[in-house]
Amino acid sequence: MEIAEVSASSTEEDTPSLLDRLDSGLSGRIFSYLDEPIDLARITAISRSCHRFVVESRCFRDLCIRICPEVSRFNSVMEKDKMCISGGPSSSRDLALTNLNMEHRVYGNLAYELIRPPVESCCICEPICASSTDNYPRESIIWTLCPSDEENGMPSYWSSKGENDKDVSETLTYRLHKNLSVVHEVKLRPFEAHFQRGNPIYSPSAVRFRFGYSSSSTRIKSSVLDGSMSSDRSPCEDYVWTYISQEYPVLQEDELQSFKLPRPVLCIGDILQVELLGRVQRQRTDGLYYICVCHVYVVGRPLYSMSFDVEGQPRRYILKYLGHQGHPGMPFEDI
Amino acid sequence: MAREGKVSLKSSDDELFDVTEAVAFESGTIKNIVEDIGTASAIPLPNVSSKILSKVIEYCEYHVESQKPEDEIKAWDQEFVKVDQATLFDLILAANYLHNKNLLYLTCQTLAGMIKGKNPEEIRKTFNIKNDFTPEEEEEARRENQWAFE
Repeated sequence: MEIAEVSASSTEEDTPSLLDRLDSGLSGRIFSYLDEPIDLARITAISRSCHRFVVESRCFRDLCIRICPEVSRFNSVMEKDKMCISGGPSSSRDLALTNLNMEHRVYGNLAYELIRPPVESCCICEPICASSTDNYPRESIIWTLCPSDEENGMPSYWSSKGENDKDVSETLTYRLHKNLSVVHEVKLRPFEAHFQRGNPIYSPSAVRFRFGYSSSSTRIKSSVLDGSMSSDRSPCEDYVWTYISQEYPVLQEDELQSFKLPRPVLCIGDILQVELLGRVQRQRTDGLYYICVCHVYVVGRPLYSMSFDVEGQPRRYILKYLGHQGHPGMPFEDI
Repeated sequence: MAREGKVSLKSSDDELFDVTEAVAFESGTIKNIVEDIGTASAIPLPNVSSKILSKVIEYCEYHVESQKPEDEIKAWDQEFVKVDQATLFDLILAANYLHNKNLLYLTCQTLAGMIKGKNPEEIRKTFNIKNDFTPEEEEEARRENQWAFE
């Protein structure tokens, strides 16, 4: 909204607010100690000058960056289908204010999304590929989307090819539901081979997660679902990683292990790559080291009201607010 | 003329306060002035009244003393900021002017704590802020962040 200039002469109560004594630097400092988006939102509804201050000081953008530093990657914003205006007959001050108001609305919505709790279902939409697969399709990556270690009486898991070298790592690559998500944790269950003597558990030594997007102009098709990817190693994709986690040690246990990110992370891009670092379990029959995974699950929230674009060289990231999705009258149901 | 190792500070209402160098140098502003003109004459602080300056000195004297357990310091700080609103604002302005980082952080955090969790009308009442929105403007402001007002 455009707020009109407050008229210079005040007619009614002339007792100034104590807040008027603070300069903008001090007000900004105080507002920066409000780490909850709801408090900042309430401030914008107090008075014209409070609203204008929050807009012109870009408080919501700063708050989003404090909550999720990855937000600083965005260079500009877009609201519905309107880009930030950069030319035209309006005065430059009006232009700047229009753009700041748009930015205020976009980051205000993002702040709300960043603090919402995770949804009940997994954020993974479909598998893309595995770095290697032992017996395709029986041991394909697609089985990692089933929580159980058995499906229709058959064991349900993905297996890598065998290696002599324990240090050879593998990757499992997935597509998430939306190209922006807030992720809290990733869960992984290694596979225990009940059908082998001694019930060996083919866990990796450690795990790491990468989130990002594909810089290819055509969308990477799931090479698993159409059967074109069999047991060969996957081709090198042009992925741009926007977040890389720490390494987490993995227990050699048949249980769904939880790897909590240090804080909720805004994943910019719809690609998740699970890096399986190092091998611990040799197969008795061939003496080779394998990694087998029963289940992968991502705890978080896909964002339906926001998206992003990348363009140009050097890359510019544009954060897009699509308007809130949902039924009129029930705008903030769990979608 | 201040004694050896002491600094004389003069408030806006011309009251003199003698403090140790350690206490005085808790203020970046005072430290800079002393480095320029020395401690021979009193350092004038025209932006700080005697009432506020004595509070600031009380804060600095406590914090300059040797190591205390952290929870004891926190408790003392919380008692220190139990002042009326006008005094709190004066302390914020003084801490800002004097460049006392810790006091500025404490007082600003306290003020933020008075804003946190309150709805707009409560904040207006607490700080005597006039609602100068038109009804349409206020409606629009609330609609921008609808989720915050449900």
